[in-house]
Amino acid sequence: MATCTDPSPRSVVEALRGDRRRRPRVDYSSAPGLRSILEDGIFSLFENTAPPTPFIIRASSLRQQSTSTDIALSAQARVRGILVNHLLRLLSVGASVTDPFDDALRAWRLEARSGDLLDFVERLSGDDLARLATDVTAHAVTLSRSLGPVSPRWMARSAVRATQILCNGSVILRDVVDLMVGTTVGEVANVALFDVTTAPLGPGAERTMRYHALVQTLRSGVVPLRTSSFSTATGEMWSLDVDNELLTRSAHEVLGALANIAQHA
Amino acid sequence: MTTFTLRRNTPHELNELVRGAPDALVALTEDHRRSLSARFRAVHSSDHRRLDAWSVEQAGRTSSSFRWSPATARRLLGNAALRRVARDPTCAPSESVTAEIDDQLLRCASGYARGGSLASWLASLGASDLALVGAEATNWLVQVLEIAQGLEGEWRVATSDAYYDVASARTTLRARKDLEVGVGDGRVTLRVRSGSPGKSAGPGLRSDLTIDTLANPHGVAPRRFIGLWPEAGVVLSVDGTMADLRAGARDLVRTAVVQQRRRHQSAA
Repeated sequence: MATCTDPSPRSVVEALRGDRRRRPRVDYSSAPGLRSILEDGIFSLFENTAPPTPFIIRASSLRQQSTSTDIALSAQARVRGILVNHLLRLLSVGASVTDPFDDALRAWRLEARSGDLLDFVERLSGDDLARLATDVTAHAVTLSRSLGPVSPRWMARSAVRATQILCNGSVILRDVVDLMVGTTVGEVANVALFDVTTAPLGPGAERTMRYHALVQTLRSGVVPLRTSSFSTATGEMWSLDVDNELLTRSAHEVLGALANIAQHA
Repeated sequence: MTTFTLRRNTPHELNELVRGAPDALVALTEDHRRSLSARFRAVHSSDHRRLDAWSVEQAGRTSSSFRWSPATARRLLGNAALRRVARDPTCAPSESVTAEIDDQLLRCASGYARGGSLASWLASLGASDLALVGAEATNWLVQVLEIAQGLEGEWRVATSDAYYDVASARTTLRARKDLEVGVGDGRVTLRVRSGSPGKSAGPGLRSDLTIDTLANPHGVAPRRFIGLWPEAGVVLSVDGTMADLRAGARDLVRTAVVQQRRRHQSAA
């Protein structure tokens, strides 16, 4: 008996978009329920007492704590992440990238102008700068080879920020999605969220993917189609179709992270 | 008493706000304009004063010197590109942004751009910088386009921001606006903003309403002025009533007074 299987997607973007005929109807009804779960949970956590300063939750609040204590290495990893993200922004609008490190650094400098991490790059010795450039180029090659062409018709936007204020400002959820394709307008779910990391994927990446989907649902009132994470270290991509169960799980993970932060505050 | 309405930014809520705008059209007369001019003249200013919603929200604090960046260029480029998309729906967002940037570069190359203008700034950038500017402008365009596509009424991209020079008072008022929706014989004006609304977002929005009305050749107020914060997923609106227009004018005059007081304090 012959078995027909779906052909593997040729690129990350193709995997993100998936089969158009299999997309579910757009879900407008989950957002209010998720907000209630979060606000009820926050209310019971703080027992009627508003914290003096708002607790801020980011995707990084849900990742596992790093055990690394080498500050320079950590700064270098953050710089690498920022540069690879800038590269993604350039690729998302169809720019032809000739020198990934220089192009990404120029774009970052234009946007940031100053900052601790930019100063860190300026202070790097020739050897360290060359090592960083090689490192970024290696990640960039993995990204550009896997990403595939982003069609201008897919409404791609990069570094999309979102902020959700809960319980009158007691808790603020902040998020930045590296790449978002598709639109919230339409009959079927269309929006795919894409996160790029220069670290290998782990359980923290799964929580981050869920968190992106949760915050985007709260922000737009529309449940995204899928949420994905791509590692430029391994070339691996994880993708999850978003449904109410996934979003509810993320809401509980946010409450767990919040309880943890509140305990140590 | 101002009636601010805060809602979630969903097409359903937004259309409700547009549909539920007050029926009565309110207009400012020459007497209103003269009265406002007299109030601004009473607040002495040694140099030209520029007021907008931001200065109202910041209690008269002046902004630091302007410089072009991907963030400051995105709205101008994004809205211009959105006009292209509105004219030709087959044009994709990022393609129309690229076309808009190319037009700006052409303007500079043919000698039509002033120093310090967006066109001359873009001409000074490298290819990767231009791509980042394009990415920011595309983000802006897509977020405004999503809002517009969710609207039931006929919409158009605002041709320009609203400017009003207060007669003999060395004062220019500016209201930013992005979309206009036709409602009966009136209009509802929409302004898209970054970040989240602060505590003074209401007075800022009210001053936008007043300036938009003053800049209208017939002094006709929008039926409703809606501020949208897509990042935060919220919408705030103020009705185009005479009470709100007056309150907006008071906010602007008060800002001029605070600004003047600050200048005196820093000079002393």
